[in-house]
Amino acid sequence: MTSSSQVIVVGTGVVGSVIAEHCLDAGLEVLMIEAGPRVSRAQIVENYRNLPLGAKPDATASYPPADWAPHPFHGLEHLESTGPNKYDPTYIRYAGGSTWHWAGTSWRLTPEDMQLRSRYGVGRDWAFDYETIDPYYNMTERKLGICGPADPADQWPVRTRSMPYPMPHLPLSQGERKFTEVMRDKLGLRNVPVAQARNSGMPYDDRPACCANNNCVPVCPVGAKYDAATSLNRLEAKGATILENSVVYRVETGEGNRIVAVHYYDRDKTSHRVTGEHFVIACNGVETPRLMLMSADDRNPNGLANSSDQVGRNMMDHPQQGYTFTTVEPYWLGAGPVVNSGIMETSQGDFRADHAAVYFRLNNFARNRDIAKRAMSSGKVGRALDEEIRRLTATSLNVVAAFEMLPDPNNRLTLSAQKDWLGLPRPSVYWDVGDYVRRSSAEYSNPLAQRIAEAVGATDFKPASPEKFSTSKHIMGGTIMGNDPATSVVDRHSRTHDHANLYLPGGGAMASTACGNSTITMTAMAFMAAEALVSEAKGA
Amino acid sequence: MNRRQLFLLGTAAMLANAMPSFTFAATQDIESRFMGASQLLVNHDLSPAVGARIAAFAQASYPNLGDMLDRITETAAARGASRVEDFFDAIPEGELRDFAFWVISAWYTGSSSGDRDATLFTYEEALLYQPTIDMVPIPTFGFSAPNAWGNDLYPLTDLPRF
Repeated sequence: MTSSSQVIVVGTGVVGSVIAEHCLDAGLEVLMIEAGPRVSRAQIVENYRNLPLGAKPDATASYPPADWAPHPFHGLEHLESTGPNKYDPTYIRYAGGSTWHWAGTSWRLTPEDMQLRSRYGVGRDWAFDYETIDPYYNMTERKLGICGPADPADQWPVRTRSMPYPMPHLPLSQGERKFTEVMRDKLGLRNVPVAQARNSGMPYDDRPACCANNNCVPVCPVGAKYDAATSLNRLEAKGATILENSVVYRVETGEGNRIVAVHYYDRDKTSHRVTGEHFVIACNGVETPRLMLMSADDRNPNGLANSSDQVGRNMMDHPQQGYTFTTVEPYWLGAGPVVNSGIMETSQGDFRADHAAVYFRLNNFARNRDIAKRAMSSGKVGRALDEEIRRLTATSLNVVAAFEMLPDPNNRLTLSAQKDWLGLPRPSVYWDVGDYVRRSSAEYSNPLAQRIAEAVGATDFKPASPEKFSTSKHIMGGTIMGNDPATSVVDRHSRTHDHANLYLPGGGAMASTACGNSTITMTAMAFMAAEALVSEAKGA
Repeated sequence: MNRRQLFLLGTAAMLANAMPSFTFAATQDIESRFMGASQLLVNHDLSPAVGARIAAFAQASYPNLGDMLDRITETAAARGASRVEDFFDAIPEGELRDFAFWVISAWYTGSSSGDRDATLFTYEEALLYQPTIDMVPIPTFGFSAPNAWGNDLYPLTDLPRF
């Protein structure tokens, strides 16, 4: 069994994989340690197809957790949620991480998104500005294979790009084009093509082109969408060693508070110790702070990297509210990828001093499974039933409002008194989306959603409750980044202030959420961390 | 063991040996009756393999399954009907009407109910996807050539044949 490596990366999701590859390309020795199993795409596709209709909308139902690597899963108690709102992320602990079931949506932050404190007097500013992260966004778009529009009028953010997307954007279906025209003509809103990590019209990175299987969530059956599992064989070919079913439960410090080793359990509950020189913990925004807290020792009695007491605090997400309504004219959503266009311009403005910004996503899931209950309870049979299924599928629209959220130290991950299968404390999260979000729902997004519904001719719009929010599974904030070691966990390179050779890249480091999905920003930050790590390893 | 005991033991053994074929025949009979009633309740070609799975579930869930299947068949026959529209209103409301709706729902959704722990009968052969198969895919199955899904908005009235 491997007992030492120059670089140890815990986690095989997109962040860990990108850093591992960067290190391998620089000639460093890399060991990757993954808590969960390594499975084939075919197995996940079969799992999905074999689910009853009522379980198919659940993004994690196709990923049953291993006993030793539990994750949020229907019927399994792993993550405790306390507080006024339900915290219900859907990360999975499998080799390849949660990109297995992401939609591939790849919105960049805007310069304003990174300066909430200085521009609007709320939240935090980032440790660097947009110009600093821009080249790393470019690297991310090439690494993951992100397609996007070439026409500046369709791009987000609205600014001159320093490099084009590596692939053209995926075409909108006729229904999405119709929605786009209605938004433009009736409301003056731009519904723009989503930049997404999906192969558009061509193979890329040894993966095939998208053929509209419309199942990006929970799994792309052909691998046209980037997920980190698609990169693992390549990493091994470059020399990486990957240990799966190996649960890191302790990070060990040594002289100078540097990290000297990690300890993991195999699936027989046997403990192993692996030493190294540089350590990257990229287990997602829940499991990474959990591991830091579990690793408390005499030097770090409140947990590793936690001299600021900020580890586990400032947990954030994109709280969301969905609107489903029926139109008279057919829209026929469901051809193409499951998220293919959205309205981002509602996420910018001086109103952010008062309430949260919001992004409206036009979901493009084929509507059959969602309208089934309605159609079957209509009392219709025969041809009338077939016509009802066709009508409801064609005229049912689902628009989701995704909110930004402010860092609040009270939204905190702690260790539960309850233990998991290995005897490790389960994570517990106190969760309150906050008045900043609730005000946005009541005063801003609900009225906007109603205008959108009226514009498309909805006959049954119902406003969302300003008290009820679901979770977007975009886990952010728990190891927050900043320049001040007294108020943050990691620096601009995602390196901990407390341990010179420990990096905690990923969503946990993000200082603001904006409204767009977090993965592309997490990956750009991973590149920044990887450059710093390689530079340190090379003695620069 | 006396002669009477030996006789009883032998008879029991013979019955036990005969039981599998008896059970098999009964199962075949209920599957056949289930498919017959299903073809009256659903106006499309139905898969016998899927029907066997639904019938097995129904047999475990409805103690009077055979009787209900016969009553549906007899109701259609009384009207001389071969399409569901021509006799469905004659099925008495209550248990039998509810069962008829359940059979239709099973064929369309491919599941025993809308619950997340329901039994799956079929995914890709669920009829739910067929009325829209010209416009949207059955998720996980390919729909078009790369970037070629921007087809016209077909009218609601053009039902695909299936």
